[in-house]
Amino acid sequence: MLKRIWTIFIRDLTVNMREFITLYMMIIPLVLAVGINLLSPGINDTTVNLALIENENPEQAAYFDDFAHVELFRDEQRVEDRVMSRDDVVGILPKDNGYYIMTQGNEPESVLEYSKLLNVLYESDVQLEDARSEIIEFGRTVPPLKKMLVNILLLLISMLAGMLIAMNILEEKSDRTVSAINVTPTSRRAFILGKSFTGMAVALFSSIACLLITGFYDINLGQAALVVFSSTILSLLIGFIQGLNSDDVMEAAGSVKLMFLPMVGSIAGYEFVTGNWQIFFYWSPFYWAYRANDMILSKSGNWPQLILFIGIILAICGAVYALLAPRIVKGLQ
Amino acid sequence: MKLLSSFKKELILASRGFYFYVELIFALVILAVLLFAIPQNFSGTSTEYLYFNLPQEGKEVFTNHLLEEDLDAKSEMVEIEADGKTFKAELIVTDEEEIYIVDSEEAVRTLAYSEKVIGAVLGLDENNQLHYKYYLQGYESTRLKNLISILNNESTDVLKERIDNQEVRPLSTGYEPLNDRENTIPPLIGFSGSLMGMFIMASYIFLDKKEGVIKAYAVTASSVWRYLMSKIFVVLLTSVVSGLIIIMPVMGFRINYGLLLLLLLTTGFFASSLGLLIASFYNNLMKAFGVIYLLVILLMVPCIAYFIPGWGPVWIKIIPSYPMLQGFKEIILPNGNIAYPLIASAGFLAVGIVLFAITNIRFKKTLSV
Repeated sequence: MLKRIWTIFIRDLTVNMREFITLYMMIIPLVLAVGINLLSPGINDTTVNLALIENENPEQAAYFDDFAHVELFRDEQRVEDRVMSRDDVVGILPKDNGYYIMTQGNEPESVLEYSKLLNVLYESDVQLEDARSEIIEFGRTVPPLKKMLVNILLLLISMLAGMLIAMNILEEKSDRTVSAINVTPTSRRAFILGKSFTGMAVALFSSIACLLITGFYDINLGQAALVVFSSTILSLLIGFIQGLNSDDVMEAAGSVKLMFLPMVGSIAGYEFVTGNWQIFFYWSPFYWAYRANDMILSKSGNWPQLILFIGIILAICGAVYALLAPRIVKGLQ
Repeated sequence: MKLLSSFKKELILASRGFYFYVELIFALVILAVLLFAIPQNFSGTSTEYLYFNLPQEGKEVFTNHLLEEDLDAKSEMVEIEADGKTFKAELIVTDEEEIYIVDSEEAVRTLAYSEKVIGAVLGLDENNQLHYKYYLQGYESTRLKNLISILNNESTDVLKERIDNQEVRPLSTGYEPLNDRENTIPPLIGFSGSLMGMFIMASYIFLDKKEGVIKAYAVTASSVWRYLMSKIFVVLLTSVVSGLIIIMPVMGFRINYGLLLLLLLTTGFFASSLGLLIASFYNNLMKAFGVIYLLVILLMVPCIAYFIPGWGPVWIKIIPSYPMLQGFKEIILPNGNIAYPLIASAGFLAVGIVLFAITNIRFKKTLSV
């Protein structure tokens, strides 16, 4: 049986390489990982954006530059135009006895308060050299947003793996080889496992590569591989259901949206919903996968916790499989 | 007339398929999430751990000062667990913060490390002057660290008074911000309704290519552009219906539905034409998948800027989903700018027409690929 599974896997890999789809699915996450590396320093450095008049008070501009992003404009009108633009930029402009804050009127309260504070500190002549506070850092270098984006990327990779399986099965269906399998010595189980290997191999390779590209060298890659493996099982399951139950690519495309919903909902639930309400997301394996990844990426978890999370993911996948097994069997007939 | 009859035919075919209903179910699910899972305002409280390494009197002065901000002017004794240890703390809850006053510096350090928040120790230096020690994670930006390091050079009361006396001149007034639930609508309808059109359109075409429908059109009285346009109409109809399902129960009759329809139709037309153009270069969805996927990810980047007000590099603004999100936002904003969605719609329509014209030429030339 192992030989047959291997044959199906190699066959899938060859076909997919010919179509470039596997390569795409391996390369796209890597491109996204590079994108995350490029984006996250800029986002992390975000405090507040200030617009000032060029050469009006170079000392003030240099002062603000230590605390905020400063843009300089030729005159007041240009500052006003910048403030009126769609993003949140606050102008600090001279008046008779000091400076006033120019806003568009729709900035969040925090942006306005931050700008006021900076202007007060400048007017009070509080200099960085006179800093009275001592700062002790724990040496963490990965900002939370980068961690979140990498975590989302890991879930996306497992979804992609599921889609790869679905598309492979659709191809088999259109070539009418799914039903032909029944008259070969290859069992259904071997067929399923063989089909799953491509997606799993792609998911594992892409996930580990993305973690390394985004600088998570020092996390426990074994733990990460376990989570990727367990969340990929769910994607594979969905991929199978999708592939076997869709008659054409149009139907599979439509259900892609349905696949993304629990994933996006789980991420939003974990990140934005307060403690007690998170119970509403416990049904979603993506929630547990995201939570487990978060624990691994922040190096704050331990094996018992991780095993618990993986156990929950596998239990949910098992329940889904038990529920949908008749449909899979029917689809293979 | 031929266009109308093609559209009718496509609509009947679509209504027999799975996709049409998936769209509607998806819109209903999003609506349920909006109404029941997304609160009107996310809890914006931050957590802070403090230790006053001061004589008893000093501790009381600072604690009482913080208590003035407490919601019920009373603190609560709690126990916090971190790193396998239990720490006793006095909890003060204000509008914006949950402040835990603990009884040792070690507790501050442990809690700040394990909970990944800021911890502070207030003590006295050798000259009996107040000395602030902050525990940060390390990933905070240099600019934020600079601010924290000088924040206590002036007394909090003096700073507060001066901040309150700052003159602020808003260029426009009467602005009412959206609540968090309303604020999540533009990305949801932008991506669910408009941008998915690209993916769906491409899928439609690949299906028809496989079945030889496009080649068959060459020998009918109808033209290829009518066939393509009738497909676009079906996608537009589903995007409008699903958009309205999401938006109507949340926004009621407070918004300009004429503008909303216009932007939904033009953005949907743009995305569908883009999907058609991509489909014209490939044989099947598998081959086009990489391009479509990368495009969808690129189009999602402005979402980050949408939710992070201080981050908005110039290059983000040339990505089409940026004006799309801002346009939808202006429509649902009370007193929103009418000109912006109108200009954005005109832009999407113009680019959509150009893309459609190019696609039509490509399909006419090749009949299949």
